[in-house]
Amino acid sequence: MRLGKSIVGTAVLWLIAITVLHGALNLQWFKRKPAGSARERQLGVGFIPVTCHLTCPVTDYINRNVEGHGFFQPLRFSGFAELKEMFLGRPEEMPATFILAPMAIALREQGVKIKIVHLGHRDGTAVVVHKDSNIFHPADLRGKTIAIPGRYANQKLILYRELKKVGLTFNDVTILEMPPPDMPAALQTRSVDAITSGEPFMGQTELDGYGRVLFQAKDAWPGFISCVLAVHESAIQTRRAEIQRLVDGIASSGKWIDQSLTNRLDAAQFVAKNYYNQNPRLLSYVLSKPPDRVTYSRLQPLRPDFEEIERLAKEAGMLNGTAHFDDYVDDSFAPDPEAIHVPSFQVKK
Amino acid sequence: MSTNPNRTGNSAVWLGAHVGLPALVVIGFLVGWHLAVRWSGSDLFPTPLEVFYGIVELARHGLLVKYIVASLFRVSWGFGCAVAVGIPLGLTLGWFRPAFLAINPMIQILRPISPIAWIPVAILWFGVKDSAPIFLIFLASVFPITVSAMAAVQNMQSVYIRAAQNFGLRGFRLFRRVIFPAALPQIITGVRIALGVAWLVVVAAEMIAVNSGLGYLIIDARNAGKRYDLVVAGMVLIGIIGLFLDLLVRRLEKFDEVRWGYGQQ
Repeated sequence: MRLGKSIVGTAVLWLIAITVLHGALNLQWFKRKPAGSARERQLGVGFIPVTCHLTCPVTDYINRNVEGHGFFQPLRFSGFAELKEMFLGRPEEMPATFILAPMAIALREQGVKIKIVHLGHRDGTAVVVHKDSNIFHPADLRGKTIAIPGRYANQKLILYRELKKVGLTFNDVTILEMPPPDMPAALQTRSVDAITSGEPFMGQTELDGYGRVLFQAKDAWPGFISCVLAVHESAIQTRRAEIQRLVDGIASSGKWIDQSLTNRLDAAQFVAKNYYNQNPRLLSYVLSKPPDRVTYSRLQPLRPDFEEIERLAKEAGMLNGTAHFDDYVDDSFAPDPEAIHVPSFQVKK
Repeated sequence: MSTNPNRTGNSAVWLGAHVGLPALVVIGFLVGWHLAVRWSGSDLFPTPLEVFYGIVELARHGLLVKYIVASLFRVSWGFGCAVAVGIPLGLTLGWFRPAFLAINPMIQILRPISPIAWIPVAILWFGVKDSAPIFLIFLASVFPITVSAMAAVQNMQSVYIRAAQNFGLRGFRLFRRVIFPAALPQIITGVRIALGVAWLVVVAAEMIAVNSGLGYLIIDARNAGKRYDLVVAGMVLIGIIGLFLDLLVRRLEKFDEVRWGYGQQ
């Protein structure tokens, strides 16, 4: 058998075939674009599938259903590291992103031109222990191993705050950084004593029957902020109208989610199926048990909230304290809370 | 069908050895897996049947074909680029000693770096489009190909060259008619190893925010709560497709240009 021609010919044919198939199945090359969708590059907005970022898919879904097309492109990531790298490396493709508040402030301290323009949510975090453990109070965490999502996670801050209340510091516990999706399994196998991250990973441990909430953020630190919507300064100058539309959309859909339990349960369904690829039952659980477990109103960035984050983060050794509210926040986009329009959107059933 | 009892007997033995024995091991493994999950009482780790249902669910939602095509697309291009770059580069370095002395240390420095370490760089350079995982797969497979092509030329028996030179072959003709064919069997071995590596890194490569592929399926299932059936389904599918890819490359060994090299060993 002759190798040369047959192998090169087969390889070329294979490359063409697999490229066309990939284009057709995954890149929608041959689908007609909906009428009215903008031809120019849409604003890329980064998010990861956690309830802290829920307003991103909800805004997109409502827009697609009301107007027939979205006005921004939600870009889904698996973790904060990849999301941050995309924002740093390709700000022209993804000039806006949902991101942990201390991570945004730390990036500003490191000279990245990032501005927080809105909050993503309030509350929506818990510290969870194994149901059979003997931890019933934050003071019982002494000597225990606690998993947190990362060094710039606000979960680290709420933990620091609660430990401090009972006279403990990070020196009295073992802190372990772990991707939130791995936390439930780590708790079930009791590889760690306590876990903390955004939802729905904490709710999952309750639903599956082995997790017990030690405390909810809403009780320990009312109005707790974990993730914020941040944009690149270059986009503030060149794409102001788009960012304003995005912020208005996030604020409106946040109010829509908080308007009724029906809206929360509807959001759980369409976000789980279309954006997060999670079990709708899980999202329904964390958005409704109790309904104020995570909230999406009062999303204007306020100075006292961030000053508290700054102060605690500096104390906990997470931030240097060289960037302040006016450096990393641009609150000119945030609409007046009273003037936010709630879309009269209902999910077709 | 042949009625010759000997031939029938031979083919039965062949089938038994090549299909029956591996099938027995697979069945034994699946039974062991099922029993281990049942005995441990774990409701996190799935049984083989749950994994099968996971694969059926993927197929029902139309995701199975989409994900397999996406992964094959990225591996095909990453690996294709690695072959296109690695073979000429390896042959050149193997033949021109100054080029080898200059470039080989750099290759040996880059070679041990895991593609996972390149993920941040890939995102910074390429964003989150298909080009980033293709780049990672290229990086993983280009070095084994380059090194095998380089070694193939360097280790070639000098009698071939001397004989060719006696026949008056020089320059490009010597390269095309003697050096390349002589090196080909070893290059094919390198290509086969590299394809295995390329397929191996598909999970890491698809950790980047692509929204399709078998690697993505594993990462996505981790984000989806308690869907370890889909995690393992992704692993099983990667394994099975990897087996088929290896069988495919093995067919290269049947070509005359390659077979002589194996015959000699």
